[in-house]
Amino acid sequence: MNILMIEDDPETAAYVAQSLREERHAVSLAKDGPEGLATARNGGWDIIIVDRLLPELDGVSVVRRLRAEGIEAPVLFLTALSGIDERVAGLNAGGDDYLAKPFALSELLARVQALGRRSRTTVTTVLRIADLEIDLIAHKVFRGGCAIDLQPREFQLLEYLMRYSDQVVTRAMLLENVWGLHFDPRTNVVETHISRLRAKLSRGDKPDLIQTVRGNGYRLRALA
Amino acid sequence: MGTASVPLPKIFRTSSFRLTLLYSGFFLFCCLVLFLVFYWAAADSMARQIDNSVASEIGEIKADAKTQDIDSLKSTVDLLAKTSADFSYLLQDRDGHRLAGNLPAMTPTLGISEQPNQMDPDEGKTLRGRGVRLPNDVFLFVALSTYQMHQMRQAMVKAFLWGMLVTLVLSLIGGTFMSLSILGRVEALSRASREIVDSDMKRRIPLRGSNDEFDHLVVSLNAMLDRITGLMDGIRQVSSDIAHDLRTPLTRLRQRVEVTLHREQDVFSLRLGYEKTLRDIDSILEIFDALLRISRLESTSPATQFQPVDLTEVLLTAVEVYMPITEEKHQILTEIVAPGLTVVGDRQLLLQLFANVIENALRHTPVMTEIQVRGLSTDDAIRVTVEDNGPGIPETQHDLVFRRFFRCDPARRGPGSGLGLSLVAAIAACHNCKVTLADTAPGLRVTFEFPRMTRT
Repeated sequence: MNILMIEDDPETAAYVAQSLREERHAVSLAKDGPEGLATARNGGWDIIIVDRLLPELDGVSVVRRLRAEGIEAPVLFLTALSGIDERVAGLNAGGDDYLAKPFALSELLARVQALGRRSRTTVTTVLRIADLEIDLIAHKVFRGGCAIDLQPREFQLLEYLMRYSDQVVTRAMLLENVWGLHFDPRTNVVETHISRLRAKLSRGDKPDLIQTVRGNGYRLRALA
Repeated sequence: MGTASVPLPKIFRTSSFRLTLLYSGFFLFCCLVLFLVFYWAAADSMARQIDNSVASEIGEIKADAKTQDIDSLKSTVDLLAKTSADFSYLLQDRDGHRLAGNLPAMTPTLGISEQPNQMDPDEGKTLRGRGVRLPNDVFLFVALSTYQMHQMRQAMVKAFLWGMLVTLVLSLIGGTFMSLSILGRVEALSRASREIVDSDMKRRIPLRGSNDEFDHLVVSLNAMLDRITGLMDGIRQVSSDIAHDLRTPLTRLRQRVEVTLHREQDVFSLRLGYEKTLRDIDSILEIFDALLRISRLESTSPATQFQPVDLTEVLLTAVEVYMPITEEKHQILTEIVAPGLTVVGDRQLLLQLFANVIENALRHTPVMTEIQVRGLSTDDAIRVTVEDNGPGIPETQHDLVFRRFFRCDPARRGPGSGLGLSLVAAIAACHNCKVTLADTAPGLRVTFEFPRMTRT
């Protein structure tokens, strides 16, 4: 993917850029608001990563202007400010996701991946991975033709995993997108919900499709 | 620590001295008014006295004139002029010729008038008299010297001026003394407070016990010092708590790194060590994050961003999130939440509040404990209770649990930072929500009372 990163701290920028490049993304860097705005206007970006606090022109203003000019590339905000109002302000300005510093690199990579996928998502009514199939309209799940009974939240969890199948989905992403929790409960809430879902999906000795990525999150794969 | 201090003003620039001066000025003005009234009344009364004497003298001559002819009248007047020590007389005919008396001829003026004294033309020695027309068409003027009256007036003015001078000097002296004494007390107060700020915040400014305005000020200053020391203690407490509570995870972190570095040789063990290290760092960052959140909630008011929030949904979500965990731990989490509960607030903050409380309950209670979340609307509040039948918290600690880093277990074993309930308290406070703890023997009930949303 073609990624533009607007970040004033050279160390963070270099470190993130290197990791993104290792994941075979093309990364361009801009070190302040005006430069970022100018580079972003060139177009062709799949994702723009913007620091909230930038010299001269802050991140929120940059994104607001980009959106006003019709540049629709998904935006991931990075910030050292981790208040709820900051998150809301960032999303209101047209940001698509929000990550508070300090963040785990794996978290950033997972979110970049998800954002890239989101921009290409087409409207579908049925998602299919291996022998697992979910009907988004009828809210039905089938594994190898057998219906599986899921509670609404379990369905949402599975739907999210399937939408972003074959990529790492972090615990924070699940908490945010499935339960709408923008904080991390200290108890292993996600693990517990995942293990229940896992149990329901692999009933009858079927192979487990949900892979645990140590320290990062989960991945739904066709081949376990 | 030095305190910036404004040097004490010169005595003449103190407000008390200025006030004294102002007051003396006003007092002197009042004296002047009083004097003028008095002076006018005295002068008027003296003039009237003269007029009365003159009038009675004229009355007598007039009575004589009725029976006497002009010649005997002339001799009467001459005789009077010669014998009388006080009065002066003039009798002149229609053509202005002097007929008798000891005054020179004058333009006949009827009624009271003052005439210069020809015989003694010194200043102030005028004559005050009355002119009348007698039968036979002669003009009679009888007068008395105003000398005494004049003297009297001068004496009065002189006495008044001296009096004024003495008053002025006295008030200046008084003002100086008053200012000095007030200045002294202000100086003492400011010295005491400067000493307290510079050296010993525990000291207080002594009261004089006179219950005057200075004592009043001292009481206020001491109250202010109490508050400041309280806040300083709080900050000191929190910082030492932070230092203390970060030591444990940091020490653990250090040990882990050390062990990994020295003991582990193969890549896999090194990786594992790194992963654990990362987790330790994350937990330290979490503590910081929680601290930051609390202090932000306490210092700024997020209420401007508040909107009506579906509290029922928040409670059900919180319960649902924790349901599988309680089932795994063989605890029972139930809810009785009325539909349609709405409060003004922030959904995320409220979610976090109830998540923390439920988490706290399931973490600190044993297997088979029942935890129940209730939400209902009463006449004056929206009430949420989270109740368990676990071991509860001793009543003596009910006030302490909301403090940062407080943990019921003094050994601080087990996970947790002791910040969960502080965050709960901070979130509740910015939602105007009253939190109370109650012992349900056995167990703990946490009650939240949100103000009812006023319909607009």
